[in-house]
Amino acid sequence: MDELPVGELTITNDSGNLARVRQFMSDVLQKTALGVRERNLVVLAVDEAVANVVEHAYEEGQVGEIGVSLLADATRVVVHIKDAGKPFDPREVGAVDIRAHVAARRKDGLGIFMIKKIMDEVEYRFLENRNRLELVKFVKPPATGTPVAAPGSHAG
Amino acid sequence: MPDLNITCEPRGDGLTFLTAEGFLDAHTFEKMEKTINALFDEGKYKLVVGLEKLDYISSAGAGVFIGAIGVAQENNGNLVLLNPTPNVKEVFDLLGLTQIFPIVGSEAEATAFFG
Repeated sequence: MDELPVGELTITNDSGNLARVRQFMSDVLQKTALGVRERNLVVLAVDEAVANVVEHAYEEGQVGEIGVSLLADATRVVVHIKDAGKPFDPREVGAVDIRAHVAARRKDGLGIFMIKKIMDEVEYRFLENRNRLELVKFVKPPATGTPVAAPGSHAG
Repeated sequence: MPDLNITCEPRGDGLTFLTAEGFLDAHTFEKMEKTINALFDEGKYKLVVGLEKLDYISSAGAGVFIGAIGVAQENNGNLVLLNPTPNVKEVFDLLGLTQIFPIVGSEAEATAFFG
């Protein structure tokens, strides 16, 4: 692939930085071919991924860095999220039965579920003591307008 | 910094109307959780949460309502969501929560829901 780098942000593992991440993603995604709805969803997915790192990757009181970078071409947007915390492969997290989740009053565990719903590909590698999450969203071709009615059909 | 503002208005009919404004995420969700738990402590279990001014919600924010609705229902109450913005509604749709939470479009509907 020949995606071009669009932007890069490094924050520390403080939930107060999530707003910065969302603002950064909103800004850089405007430079991509994704539509508004898809951009909003990708912002949400990245927020969920970074929030997970903030919450779980580092020991309590430990300050760690989280890197977010975005590459894009006309066909897709690729987000990399890197941290040096504990290894965690989100692909191993199973699907959520939301009714059971509500019945059990479970307030956690929905972030990965959201990410998988939103993104087209979720890849993970642990390399050189760093988690590296790759989230991919494909650019959907624009709608081509009103579908052509089949012969003999009525427009209503 | 984008934050979350919550207002809380008890009504004479036993309902409590909350309004959430701003951003309900992994940084601000505890504020909403504490507000709802304080209402539960006062025996107020019929809650209407106005979401028309909520710009953003993540799963941590939705998780607050997931944790609360069961408590409300067990105490003859409920948690009704009023007028979510399209972005917020989409998150509830993604999570499958629109099948679980009563969602209404007006205060009159919310009041009627509790009959």
